[in-house]
Amino acid sequence: MASAPASFLDPALLARISDLSLLARTVVDGFMHGQHRSLRKGSSMDFAQHRSYQPGDDLRRIDWRVFGRTDRFYVKEYEADTNASVMFALDSTGSMDFGSGPVTKYDYGRFLIASLAWLSQAQGDRVGLATFTGDLVDVVPPSTRHLQLLLHTLARSKATGTGHLAKAIERFTHLSARTGIAVLVTDCYETPDALGRAAASLRMRGHDVIVFHLVDPAERDFPFTAATTFEDAESGTRLPLRPDDLRGKYKELLGAHHVAVAQRLAAAGADYVRVDTDQPLDRALHAYLDRRLARSRVR
Amino acid sequence: MGLGVLVPAFLAGLAALAIPVVLHLRHRDKDRPYRFPSLMFLEQLPIRTAERRRITDLPLMLLRALAVALLVLAFTRPVFSRDVKTEQSKRVRAMILMVDRSMSMGHRDVWPAALDSARTVIASLGAGDRLALVLFDDEAEVAQPFSTDRSAALAVLAKARPADRGTRYPAALRAARQLAAKPGEATPEVVIITDLQRTGVSGVAGLDLPKGLTVRTIAVGPKSRANATVASVDIHRTIEPLRTMLAVESRIVAREGAAARTAQATLILNGRPSGTKRVTIPAAGEARVLFTPVLLPAGLVRGSVSIDNDALAADDTFHFAFAARDELRVLLVAPDDAVGEETLFFERALLVGHAPSIRIERVRAAGLDANRLDGAALVVLWDAPVPSGRASAALTEWVRRGGGVVVAAGRRSVGRVSTSTLMPARIVGEADRLTDRGGSLGDVRFDHPLFSAFRSAPAALSAARFLRYPRIEPAVGTDVLARFDDGQPAVVEHREGSGRIVLVGMPLDARSGDFPLQSSFLPFLHRLTLYTSGRDATPFARTTGQSWVLSGALKEPAVLTPDGSILRPAKDTGGSTVALREAGVYALYEGRVQGEPTALLAVNAPANESDLTSVDPRELLLGVRQSTATADATNEVPTRSEVEGRQRLWRGLLIALAVLLLGETFMANRGWRGIANGNGATRTEGSAS
Repeated sequence: MASAPASFLDPALLARISDLSLLARTVVDGFMHGQHRSLRKGSSMDFAQHRSYQPGDDLRRIDWRVFGRTDRFYVKEYEADTNASVMFALDSTGSMDFGSGPVTKYDYGRFLIASLAWLSQAQGDRVGLATFTGDLVDVVPPSTRHLQLLLHTLARSKATGTGHLAKAIERFTHLSARTGIAVLVTDCYETPDALGRAAASLRMRGHDVIVFHLVDPAERDFPFTAATTFEDAESGTRLPLRPDDLRGKYKELLGAHHVAVAQRLAAAGADYVRVDTDQPLDRALHAYLDRRLARSRVR
Repeated sequence: MGLGVLVPAFLAGLAALAIPVVLHLRHRDKDRPYRFPSLMFLEQLPIRTAERRRITDLPLMLLRALAVALLVLAFTRPVFSRDVKTEQSKRVRAMILMVDRSMSMGHRDVWPAALDSARTVIASLGAGDRLALVLFDDEAEVAQPFSTDRSAALAVLAKARPADRGTRYPAALRAARQLAAKPGEATPEVVIITDLQRTGVSGVAGLDLPKGLTVRTIAVGPKSRANATVASVDIHRTIEPLRTMLAVESRIVAREGAAARTAQATLILNGRPSGTKRVTIPAAGEARVLFTPVLLPAGLVRGSVSIDNDALAADDTFHFAFAARDELRVLLVAPDDAVGEETLFFERALLVGHAPSIRIERVRAAGLDANRLDGAALVVLWDAPVPSGRASAALTEWVRRGGGVVVAAGRRSVGRVSTSTLMPARIVGEADRLTDRGGSLGDVRFDHPLFSAFRSAPAALSAARFLRYPRIEPAVGTDVLARFDDGQPAVVEHREGSGRIVLVGMPLDARSGDFPLQSSFLPFLHRLTLYTSGRDATPFARTTGQSWVLSGALKEPAVLTPDGSILRPAKDTGGSTVALREAGVYALYEGRVQGEPTALLAVNAPANESDLTSVDPRELLLGVRQSTATADATNEVPTRSEVEGRQRLWRGLLIALAVLLLGETFMANRGWRGIANGNGATRTEGSAS
């Protein structure tokens, strides 16, 4: 699989596009241009296999001819059953409003979700959105007609306040009765256990979970030199520091946290994708498509 | 010369010097913190900055502390002052002595005590002290301006007597303010010797006195405030076949008496005792005395009712005056074709009643001349045109001198054109209300004297129905007093000189409506007659302090006052005015003061002056403002420019503060914060999308 031309996916370039709809189309078209095979598995009704009837299955899907021959209930399964629900959850806490480069983590998250939503819509999926801090803030229910509403909601949303991921995800799981793909975009400033429980609760509801972990280069490298006071973007707590003395220990702690998060999410059955905000969007898009392809074979 | 401050309370603001120190220590490195997504990892690290508790920018902190100190000092208004005590000791004392000479001060126990107090106050003054003497009642008279001559002041006091006037403390305080404002005098002390009568306090609140002007009262009120007074007199004429009898009834009011007492009331008419009555005066309340009717004297009658004198004798007599022949002569000008019954209701209604009695004379329009109009009170133009030619000129002149004209408009007036100034409106047509059972009066101005009697019973007026009435178009400058229910003017008034012209559009006969059959017809016509003739404006008795406006028609008016002096008031186009300063009967003459006077006017002291209730001295000056500006104007020692010059220091302090703040800005921008801002990470504000 070839990479998309970087010029279409560079965050610095995307930051100049104010219209999220245009941005998403630019990203997706540029990304699709670099693919060697069609991503569209089609929405045909090609037969895949039979399986035994289970209580709760739709009676209309019972194959009556097989019943006539075998006197047993079987239901048909088809290839490429589209109309999956893709729900995006964007962390809108104050910590996301940070960026040492041209885009903040929150901007990057919005670009990412807009692009993924556009891509999903092109595949005939239902798309929805929830932004959250300590609780859900804005909610767009999943629908095939909600792309523009989703983009508009994204454009006017802002990152502010403190967050409580576990509680917000708990509310998020109840938004859609149908199972689908839950895409969680966050900077993972939460304990690995809490993140794991949040992902596990989504999995328990039958969702496929992808967690995009956004990391700013300044968070990653801690490049500060002069003594200064640091202020927590969420709580407002201030701490006077000499960064030179702390850089090594800080990076150790951060690295350990990332590893723990990745392990805990994997244990919960979620896909973990770390995305640095100075990198193009293609890695994130590939990760999503891989997950989408894995789900393409359904009942 | 020393340095002082005008507002030392602001020195407490120096405590604010601690603020820059504390802020420096607490927030030195917090001024511009670096916003980081989360401190969840950094907080786990054992690090602290040692510099936090140490002052690193000492010059900057001292600069800021100095800025605060300068600001505080500027607010305290530093001033270069001379030795004030020495200057004050050099000043002479000034005093304004105010002595109340209102009627209530004529109380048996009060006036001697007031004189004694005044003499004591004068004796307490030093040799060089200056004294001004003011005598006041309802107005203030500066009997002696500031002077060191005490004997002159004592001589004025010896001649002073209580007057028949009311009490008004505001007038006295204004006189004190005026005296205190004279340049060259130190701020004086005001001493008021008075009985502190409560009724005189009205109007004191809101008065503006110079700051520093001290007001001291010496109360000389009577121990017992019991007082009885003849408050009013009513006159009743009883017309008998061959004579007219006069019955006088007086009302006696008593206040704060210990017990009821018996007194003798005496009636004096034209200087002769005309009756006495024993009357029981209650401790508090009123008693009425009805004297036995006597034969009504001819001509102008002056009289008085007195009771046995109590401690305050001045209000024990009530003066009154009236004309024996209380008759109004009304000239009725009716058209030639008017039948007798057309004016029947009108004439009969006017003839009812004797106070005053009305005499009607029917005249032709052309017969109006100066002789005929002389002595007439009212001319009624009954559906008749305003006379022309010489009659018009005579009538116009007569109205301008105070005569009254009633224009009763009817069907003959429709379309009649008149250029006379006596016609207040044009009759443009006739309204026919036969189809809707007649119109009625709709909008009536009950606040007008003509209709004020119907204010409590407006239905009496609106009950009358009018089947036909003229449509009136009022001229410019006229006043519509009533309208019909269709909005057409019904009664229009116009003033010409001193006289009144009233046009009545309501039919006064029984053919075009039922007004003559209504109960309101009679009182309306009487009010119309009295008002238009000007008789309602003549008071029965007035009070001192008021003025008597004499008619401009009088030639060489002369007024004989109750004390026997003769006043010859100056005349102008509006007449002349006589100030009523004493109680008694004023007599008006034309030319020489002899024979029968032209008019009499009785004057009494204000009724509330008999109420001896006193006020607490502290309440006397309740609501009085003392202004700094006025005080500055009255104090001659430091001039305004001198005072301002001594206080100019605060401006210099503020200029120094501004320079200091500029230096602070420069220093602050070169501190370690500038280095701290050079972090490797770039700060991002807001969203980039």
